[in-house]
Amino acid sequence: MTDHDHKKTARKTAPSTADNHLHIKQLSVLRGMVLVIRSLSHQQSAGDICCLTGPNGAGKSTLLRTIAGRLPAAGGDISCAVPIIYVGHTDGLSGAISGRENLAGWAKINGFPTTETAIDTALSSFATNRFANLPVRVLSRGQRRRLALARLALAPANSLWLLDEPNASLDQASSRILDDIVQKHATAGGMVLAATHLDFAAAAKPRSLHLPGLVT
Amino acid sequence: MKPFFAQIERDLLIAWQNRQDLGVMLVFFVIIIALFPLAIGANATVLDPLGVPVIWIAALLAILAGFDRLFAQDVRDGWLDQIALSQLGLGWYALAKAISHWLTAGLPLLIMTPLMAMMLNIPLQQWPPLLVALLIGSMGLTLLGVIGAALAEGARRGTALMALLILPLAVPLLIFGTLASQSDRGIISPHLMLLGAVFALLLALAPLVAASALEIGETETGL
Repeated sequence: MTDHDHKKTARKTAPSTADNHLHIKQLSVLRGMVLVIRSLSHQQSAGDICCLTGPNGAGKSTLLRTIAGRLPAAGGDISCAVPIIYVGHTDGLSGAISGRENLAGWAKINGFPTTETAIDTALSSFATNRFANLPVRVLSRGQRRRLALARLALAPANSLWLLDEPNASLDQASSRILDDIVQKHATAGGMVLAATHLDFAAAAKPRSLHLPGLVT
Repeated sequence: MKPFFAQIERDLLIAWQNRQDLGVMLVFFVIIIALFPLAIGANATVLDPLGVPVIWIAALLAILAGFDRLFAQDVRDGWLDQIALSQLGLGWYALAKAISHWLTAGLPLLIMTPLMAMMLNIPLQQWPPLLVALLIGSMGLTLLGVIGAALAEGARRGTALMALLILPLAVPLLIFGTLASQSDRGIISPHLMLLGAVFALLLALAPLVAASALEIGETETGL
């Protein structure tokens, strides 16, 4: 019950006077009976890009999922007043329907623009138009990832992007597109927190948050 | 309301792409009904009163059999993560799932029922109460199935557990449903009202129960 309450308060929509911040105070997270994140504090404000680094099992995905409200915090506090866009290991795409239908459905359940042109623009951001009308199950890992990332083009300017290994299966051209989009988002006043082992948005000189890993 | 209908639309699109599953479910329904007369033997005095109960049991099994994958695919795809962050919320999501599942499983079954009633020699004046009771009953069973699927998803156990949890809860629907179907006082019988009451209770509870089950399941077992 306390977990539930915590999550409700952590994800509350702040009054309009609140600035666009992500505040993490003394956060601890348990997975099973193992403490994965201990007393982590982190702050990010509008325009910040932050890379989450650390060895496998250090809790990078756990941290992102906790911020997204998908895992309960054992202690501490997360406050984030802006919309959260989460692109995780799983792309959130149904294999049975096309990439376009997946994207349009996602935009509708979030109340984002769903006009034909908005969807087309989003699809072309990662050059997915050529395969956007095929059922997702026939697409490659990288193509699916590009469709999942195409959501970012529909997100509001002030949103917080939580990206879990976003460039893991991307080709070089798509990685450059991702870097571009991330930088543009930061310039427009958005926030990005990305867990990555690879070179990510290097030109924007992202901050780095290192998780040492308690159980590795 | 737009996100709600978007979820139903998405599920219907997916169901249309997987439409062979619907055929399997309908064939299952027909086979169960066909097996009863074969097992009991060609004795009209024994068979005639069994028509309505046989249709109900077949409908119950066919509807509940289709539930094990209801949330599993969305969890595996990561769609549930997207739902949890969206405006929709898990409760409305569960209700949308129930509606789309009823449209793709309950409704086709209901359309098949007159044919089955003919096969089982159920008198024509019995058809309207049977169909109305089965309409409400199938919606109630769908809501029960949503609860079971969400609980099974949370417990990571699957179909066997779901059947154990749900079949006892389906008993009131079965009792009032069969009584209402065999009513000789027209469509609106006291049994139908009780069936409606059970359905109304499930309609109010199922989305809430399913939402908390999905929430717990996800937080305990997520990636």
